[in-house]
Amino acid sequence: MTLNKVLSILLILLCTVSGRLKAKATTQIVVDARGRSVQIHCPIRRLVSLNEDSLEVIRILHAQNLVVGVDNRIPGRPFFWPVLKNRPTVGKWNEPSYERIAILHPDLVLSYGNRPGLELEKKLGPLGIQVLRLDFYKMLSMPREIKTLGMLLNREREAEIFLKWYHRKLDLIQDLIKKDPHQPRIYLESYSNYHALGPSSGGYEMGVLAGGQNIASHLSIPYPEVTPEWVLTRNPDVIIKTVSSMAAYRSGNPETLRKIRDRIIHRPGWRNIRAVKTGRVYVMESDICAGPSAIIGIAYMAKWFHPRQCSDLNPEEIHRQYLEQFQGVAYRGIYVYPNEH
Amino acid sequence: MVVSRSCSSPRNTIASYRSITKKKIVFLCLLLGILLITILIGLAVGASSLDLSSVFSALMREDGLARSIVVELRLPRITVAVLAGWGLALSGAVTQAILRNPLASPFTLGVASGAGFGAVLGILMGHGLHQWLIASSAFGFALLTSFFILLVAQLKNVSSETMILAGVATMFFFSSLTSFVQYLGTMEEVHEITFWFFGSLSRAGWQEIGVALLMIAPPTPLLMKWAWSFNALMAGDESAKTLGVNVWRIRLGGILLASLITAGAICFTGIIGFVGLVAPHIARMLVGSDHRFLLPTSVLLGAILVVNADTLSRTLWVPQVIPIGIVTSFLGVPFFFYLLMKRRRDYW
Repeated sequence: MTLNKVLSILLILLCTVSGRLKAKATTQIVVDARGRSVQIHCPIRRLVSLNEDSLEVIRILHAQNLVVGVDNRIPGRPFFWPVLKNRPTVGKWNEPSYERIAILHPDLVLSYGNRPGLELEKKLGPLGIQVLRLDFYKMLSMPREIKTLGMLLNREREAEIFLKWYHRKLDLIQDLIKKDPHQPRIYLESYSNYHALGPSSGGYEMGVLAGGQNIASHLSIPYPEVTPEWVLTRNPDVIIKTVSSMAAYRSGNPETLRKIRDRIIHRPGWRNIRAVKTGRVYVMESDICAGPSAIIGIAYMAKWFHPRQCSDLNPEEIHRQYLEQFQGVAYRGIYVYPNEH
Repeated sequence: MVVSRSCSSPRNTIASYRSITKKKIVFLCLLLGILLITILIGLAVGASSLDLSSVFSALMREDGLARSIVVELRLPRITVAVLAGWGLALSGAVTQAILRNPLASPFTLGVASGAGFGAVLGILMGHGLHQWLIASSAFGFALLTSFFILLVAQLKNVSSETMILAGVATMFFFSSLTSFVQYLGTMEEVHEITFWFFGSLSRAGWQEIGVALLMIAPPTPLLMKWAWSFNALMAGDESAKTLGVNVWRIRLGGILLASLITAGAICFTGIIGFVGLVAPHIARMLVGSDHRFLLPTSVLLGAILVVNADTLSRTLWVPQVIPIGIVTSFLGVPFFFYLLMKRRRDYW
């Protein structure tokens, strides 16, 4: 490579970086997860994230360098967060330390729509710290929210690249499941036993996008406790239990997931459920059930719901692409059980 | 129905005593009948449309969906409800007698919170797999709490009111410890622990029932046998000693057995508040303070209350389940106030 070429590349890089650094001070009006119009003053140079979903989006947007504070789960997953594991922690995702946030003096704090409560804005507002609530775990609003954050962080292009990839995968899944006239009846269970994933939960939307008919669709609560008897009488074709071990990425052994599945199969009376009789009971880690990575969970679900139509669909490959292209970490871990090919 | 009466004439004392005793026995039989009817209603209703005749025919069959629903889902749930009501009410009545305090119960003394914390530790350590680990951990902490309260009482010779205060403080301590474990826990553990605060009868199967039964049933006849001693204790330690009661032995044994029963009642169901405090009071209003009748009446009332609460919790908002702890309070508190207003104020 000639010296001129090297200098040209350096000049281009310098222009890009300085362009971002010298971003104009503007005020953007965006819609948050609560449906409110929120004024955000840009540029955002210092960012605190209160949950992993938004951190994954930040990594997709190549904006890790802006993060000055993370929630207390991040240091516990050093393999998945090799860069952010050493950033200062600001407490729990739903009960952060306002004092710690204040010390870091970020331009913006990212949190879920409902938790922490509105005290977050009340405490941080007077300190000049802006709060933006985005629910990246909800599939239907996620693309819009990624665009919003991309715009605020001056990373529209990165957002666009990811969303193109995401929609390509989602469209592929939708095309495949359309070929199946039968919509299987599904029972999705949250982390807590006998608590269904009902409407307005992230898992519910995933089930719908994967072409399943959720037996809890008429319920009004996102995570209602239901009677085992009701599940038995609704007789679902597929059962999916979500778990949150926080160890999926470094795990190489499906034993824990197998045990959880065994316990579901052996629940009293459940041997009469069609899903148990036919062996269509699956366990899925939370790593692929929320946030932008939920597309991987949807791919697995589609394969389980429509095995014939989705026989060529390869969720592991989608996962590999997601981790390597958009998260910058190597593909590894155990996320579902059983994982039939 | 109120069967407690004071004797109006000294000449008819024996006849009157026999009559009252007879009435109380009839009342106990009546309560047993109500409990059986309550159980049958519980068996006959649920998320699926199985009526009573289908329930009986399901019981006769060897397999099938209806049998699974009745035998594997409804029956264990109702059995757990009976055991929880029985255990909490009995340990409440015994604690109230031992401490001679109407505010005493497994909850106000912190024993239930101790047991709850122990069970949560057991769940987290054994990943919810080992019933004996959960039960023994619950019992261990229940016992620890009881001994602490007794130790405070013994060392400082404090009043029963002070013991209740110590108990309330212990309750807050263990609740905080449980919350702390929850705070540190993963999402999944947080969900598991949250169930403790609301109570749930969905989780216990026959294996857990066996463990709980072993913790609740054997101490029951022993406590019933001590009914006279509890009566004597209610008159004060000095009077009890005069009547030949070994006060320390009864107090220590009583608290030990009440702890075991409390741990058995809640280690697989979570915290079902209120029953342990109020069922003995309702029983006292109905049959008086003679522990020979008070203890079995409390047991039956506790069981009736929890079984009814469970039936309502799973049928009011099908298929969703309203946490049992909420329904027991909704059912029991108005009834308790009704009795409180209707009865004389000095029933204790």
